[in-house]
Amino acid sequence: MPLDADVVRLRRGDPNALSELITRYQNRLYRYLLRIVRQPAEAEDLFQQTWLRVVEKIRSFDASRNFDAWLFTLARNLAIDHLRRIRPQSLDEPLANSWHSETVADRIPSKGATPFDHALAAERRTEISEAMAGLPMIYREALTLRFEEEMKIEQIAQVTAVPVSTVKARLRRSLEQLRYALEERYPGGTWQ
Amino acid sequence: MIEHDKILELLPLAAAGALTSAEEKQVAEHMRSCIACANELEAWRPIATELRRLPTPQPSSWLVQATLARAEAKLAEQAEHDWNRRVMIFVVAFAWLLTIASWPVFHFVSGHFGSLLELQFSYTCMSFAAFTALGWIAGGVAAVMLAIRQPGERRLA
Repeated sequence: MPLDADVVRLRRGDPNALSELITRYQNRLYRYLLRIVRQPAEAEDLFQQTWLRVVEKIRSFDASRNFDAWLFTLARNLAIDHLRRIRPQSLDEPLANSWHSETVADRIPSKGATPFDHALAAERRTEISEAMAGLPMIYREALTLRFEEEMKIEQIAQVTAVPVSTVKARLRRSLEQLRYALEERYPGGTWQ
Repeated sequence: MIEHDKILELLPLAAAGALTSAEEKQVAEHMRSCIACANELEAWRPIATELRRLPTPQPSSWLVQATLARAEAKLAEQAEHDWNRRVMIFVVAFAWLLTIASWPVFHFVSGHFGSLLELQFSYTCMSFAAFTALGWIAGGVAAVMLAIRQPGERRLA
């Protein structure tokens, strides 16, 4: 796998490469951290820490590895240390707070859809994200890496440092729990 | 029945697009004859679709700028640290070279002037060696003290 040019330049100490990489990964990394810790202030702090860790460790980055997976692994390790330190129960226990946030892009109407359709779609997303926020951390992580980051199972296994079979089991259980939570909140499939 | 249960377990993963090609084939074959599983898969699909459409929360531009500033400062600090280390290695190597090279010169000069001043060569030689060793030990102690102090200062900063 060819090494990303920006990663090569960053290894040489080029600050422009750092700027490029932060710009490129800012949304994905922030979203991933927010899905894990659920608190924007904590996600912001971890976002900064992750990039400082990137600068610190970039020379030891194994060129044969995928940079995305490496970056998310660094972020994950920091987030897990943080969760263990400040609220040990949060690795398993869901919190009531919602991390759901809407962007400007989500409010731009698309062709052919009525305001009612938009309201319905927004409502469904809110329902899903609230139900997802109620899942344990490892399940939220499995869902965000698969559906939002669109990582392959093997990549998720790399980031989370578990076998592929464990990733699949987590993904299946997370979907089952999510569906159960939705059906419990909205009996009879009304959330659909 | 066993196969049906097994397929049922694979359906959430099928909706997530996380099956191997062999598993996909197995699921497809089973669904041709099992309406219950086909309906079940249809129930999973909207969840998978909505998960893919979740809005992406974005970091504020302030956060991105602050992160960039801190990371660049760290990068500069690392570059300075590397430069200092290279300079230190060069200076130490140069100092050793100079010390070793000075011995023949010293030998020649001390032999010449020592005889005029009636100094014994071995005494002068020992004094010079002691003086050089003292200088090196003092320098070494200072370097170690600086090295110990620097991380402490970084922690406070």
